Amino acid sequence: MAEDAAIAQRGKPASAGRAPVWSFSSNQPVGAILLCAVLLAAAAAATVSNLTVQLPSALWLQSLAAPDIADMRQVLVHYAFLPRLAISLLCGAALGLAGTVLQQVLRNPLASPETVGVSAGAYLALALATLLSPSLLAFGREWVALAGAFMALAAVIALSWHKGLSPLSVVLAGLVVSLYAGAIGAALIVLRHEWLASLFIWGAGSLGQQDWSTTLWLLPRIGAAALAIFFMVRPLTLLGLDDEGARSLGVPLGAYRFAGLAAAVALIAFVVAAVGVIGFVGLAAATLARIGGGRRLGQQLVMAPLIGGALLWAADQGVQIATGPQGDLLPTGAITALLGAPLLLWLLPRLALGSEAPTLMAVRLPRASRPGLVLMALGLALLLLLGLALLYGPGPHGWTFAFGDELQPLLSWRWPRVLAALSAGAMLALAGLMMQRLTGNPMASPEVLGISAGAALGMMVALFALVDAGRPVQTAAATIGAFAALLVTLAIGRRAAYAPERLLLAGVALTALFDALILVLTATGDPRAMLLLNWLTGSTYGVDVGDALLTGGIAVCLFALAPVFVRWLDILPLGSAAVQGLGINLKRARLLVLLAVAALTAASTLIVGPLTFIGLMAPHLARRLGLSRALPQAIGAVLAGALIMVAADWVGRIAIFPRQIPAGLVATLIGGPVLMWLLRRR
Amino acid sequence: MTRRQALGLFTLPFAGMGSSTAEARPLRIVCLDDGLTETLLMLGVSPVAIADREVWEKWVVEPRLPPDIADLGTLLEPNLEFLQQLRPDIILSMPYLDGIKPLLERVAPVTTIGLYTEAGQPYRRALEATRQLAGLVGKESEGEALIAATDAYLLEVRQQLAPLSARPIYVVSFLDPRNVRVYGAKSLFQEVFDRIGLSNAWTAETNYWGFSTVGIDGLATSSDARLAYLEPLPEGAGGTLTESPVWNAMPFVRNRSIMRLPAVLMFGALPSASRFARVLASAMTAEAAHG
Repeated sequence: MAEDAAIAQRGKPASAGRAPVWSFSSNQPVGAILLCAVLLAAAAAATVSNLTVQLPSALWLQSLAAPDIADMRQVLVHYAFLPRLAISLLCGAALGLAGTVLQQVLRNPLASPETVGVSAGAYLALALATLLSPSLLAFGREWVALAGAFMALAAVIALSWHKGLSPLSVVLAGLVVSLYAGAIGAALIVLRHEWLASLFIWGAGSLGQQDWSTTLWLLPRIGAAALAIFFMVRPLTLLGLDDEGARSLGVPLGAYRFAGLAAAVALIAFVVAAVGVIGFVGLAAATLARIGGGRRLGQQLVMAPLIGGALLWAADQGVQIATGPQGDLLPTGAITALLGAPLLLWLLPRLALGSEAPTLMAVRLPRASRPGLVLMALGLALLLLLGLALLYGPGPHGWTFAFGDELQPLLSWRWPRVLAALSAGAMLALAGLMMQRLTGNPMASPEVLGISAGAALGMMVALFALVDAGRPVQTAAATIGAFAALLVTLAIGRRAAYAPERLLLAGVALTALFDALILVLTATGDPRAMLLLNWLTGSTYGVDVGDALLTGGIAVCLFALAPVFVRWLDILPLGSAAVQGLGINLKRARLLVLLAVAALTAASTLIVGPLTFIGLMAPHLARRLGLSRALPQAIGAVLAGALIMVAADWVGRIAIFPRQIPAGLVATLIGGPVLMWLLRRR
Repeated sequence: MTRRQALGLFTLPFAGMGSSTAEARPLRIVCLDDGLTETLLMLGVSPVAIADREVWEKWVVEPRLPPDIADLGTLLEPNLEFLQQLRPDIILSMPYLDGIKPLLERVAPVTTIGLYTEAGQPYRRALEATRQLAGLVGKESEGEALIAATDAYLLEVRQQLAPLSARPIYVVSFLDPRNVRVYGAKSLFQEVFDRIGLSNAWTAETNYWGFSTVGIDGLATSSDARLAYLEPLPEGAGGTLTESPVWNAMPFVRNRSIMRLPAVLMFGALPSASRFARVLASAMTAEAAHG
């Protein structure tokens, strides 16, 4: 990190050729520098405290320079404590730098290693290689991670290319790719969990070290990428202008965009290959550097790595205070996400994101001349599928249609699952549609806005805080969680008059918070974590008659209320100004729709888990099928959601009989590509 | 293929059986806890089905699993349609699976036996469970014999290891090259240690399954300890360890006091206790013979 800063200081005046950078003027990023100083002081104090616990101060110098191998304390300080410290600085700085470059190149204040899918891609590639082809890792973890990271980024770019890589479309594609990579990772864990305990720890971003090899491995790689970035400060600055402005200055935009992206992605891939996913540091550092007063890119490129390094150093030392020296099991990467998410939530109302315009609905999409026919076809497909799901499946005598007496006992297991899956899919679809219509935001959905995560958090608290929490208790807890998450989102949204981007960011932060908690819990190796993971992946296994009827009943009640909203949903995407012109109480309409969304989400998340794409996907599917007005789109989305979920449950039951793949996971696995294809197509 | 083997079970025509013949035929037991399953097998009773044979092959190994025991799928989600078609008389479960107990009860009565709970003492609980299972399958004398044999065997190992018992031992499973599960207070292994006169080098707290997850440098607290690690090893744990300075500075590495043990079910009952004592004793005596 120190090197980065030095490079930046040397490189900047040369490349920018402007006023002296470090003169005292109001242009200084005072806030960022102060913040950085505070973080560094805290980190240093914590480091001294941690070191004192391990080794008398008289031996510090000796253990640094030439540790006595016979003295375990010195060995640990030299080969575990110090490299870990170096790693925290390096990785934090790399992520901060990568975050800033991503935000600059993509002109996107939401861009970060997590939100553009790069971390998830690198992580998944490493997980797949570990499981399926460990020999690949012999070529070098960085190549596997790089391949995964670039593939994820390529997918994100391909998916958002036709929208000119607009910020929202990139983040939408990034979230889709992240969720998809996460779903595949979850499938691996569920199917082969006993071997993946280590993947948990590593994936959660444990910084623990045993020697200097990782540090020495990272140093030249991060250094090279950082150097490349600092040589590009000037063209990268111009990329922040609009395309015409930059082109008129004769900058080859495409080439520098690619080079900047490549450097950022490389930084992220190296970090993931070395220590796993370190949540939120990239986003937090880049954001803090900017709002801390770093107006020019040069300033941000210096401050973000400094803040990132200080942040991760402080967090890691804090973790070690909590867990004792070299505590590995509270993964620092998850802790940073735990700390970073509330920070982001606090920052949100204070962030200037510029004005927002409805995006999805502005796109010209085909309109079906006869929406009724489309809906009938969807309904027919659903009926056919229901028949299959209830009657057909593998059993002791091979694949059979079950009838009569044979069917009776089987049906008693099948129908509650099918009904619950159907209701959950339909409700999620409706919730997603309402969110998208309401916010005019194509990536709004319960999953993305953190409402599902809230439900899951509630469920988690019940599972861990209460002994033997039964399903009713879990249900109540999840509902409370969903409403709590909604209230948080609302509280943030209210200050911004429910502006789409802020709602979205709040959701991303909540989801990250939740992911972090899950990672921490699974990394502790607590067997209850497996129970939780099983539910998270959306297993309909435990659904009994009561659950099914309850879910179905809630669905029917909420659907009965839905037509009330339809008029608003047709009008709301027109944008705030137009709606107020029509004399509708905008805030009240939005609040009511949001409350309905929370109820729909809580009821469905309990059945299929928080990770499906249904809420995001089904409305898009309906829209792409040519259903443009609110009512037909709502019916189409509900049918599509039900169809996907029932299919997912059935496939999950039969694909690897007698084992089962959780329905939510199957929905993600089959839904993800569908969604990507839809996004890709014009 | 286990699935095909399982199919054979359905040729047995139980449907029309009266109550008088039902008493004569053996109880059809589905057992969802590997610790209870190994106890049943040692009592000479074969359950109809268990969860996840693959886990057994890797983590339990002994006693060998008869090939006609059906595989219900994963432990957390045993296939209910399949379970129903097996027509069990009783399902043996553990508190860990209480979440799915209402579902299991729709198929057959469920008996929950907790070997591992917050109260610890899995060995004592395994004794109780052995008696309970023996009573259930009408093999009381076999149950008492198993208990007596296990006690006697542990006593024998205690005498055998008496000259080697001075130094404490860490028992670990590797999670990855840097992290281990180390077994302590509430584990079966701890109670075996107590009975065979060894001291556990890991004295800190554990969860109710009897282990803590720590970095390997966390095992440096005791300077004269030995290390016994259990198979199976995760990919990569063996190779990278030997290069690590921290690993090579660990007291037990410098003293060459490392033992590799074949897989033993760490969440097991009496048969696992015996197996653990046996593999540990043979590793320790082999080490003593070499060193």
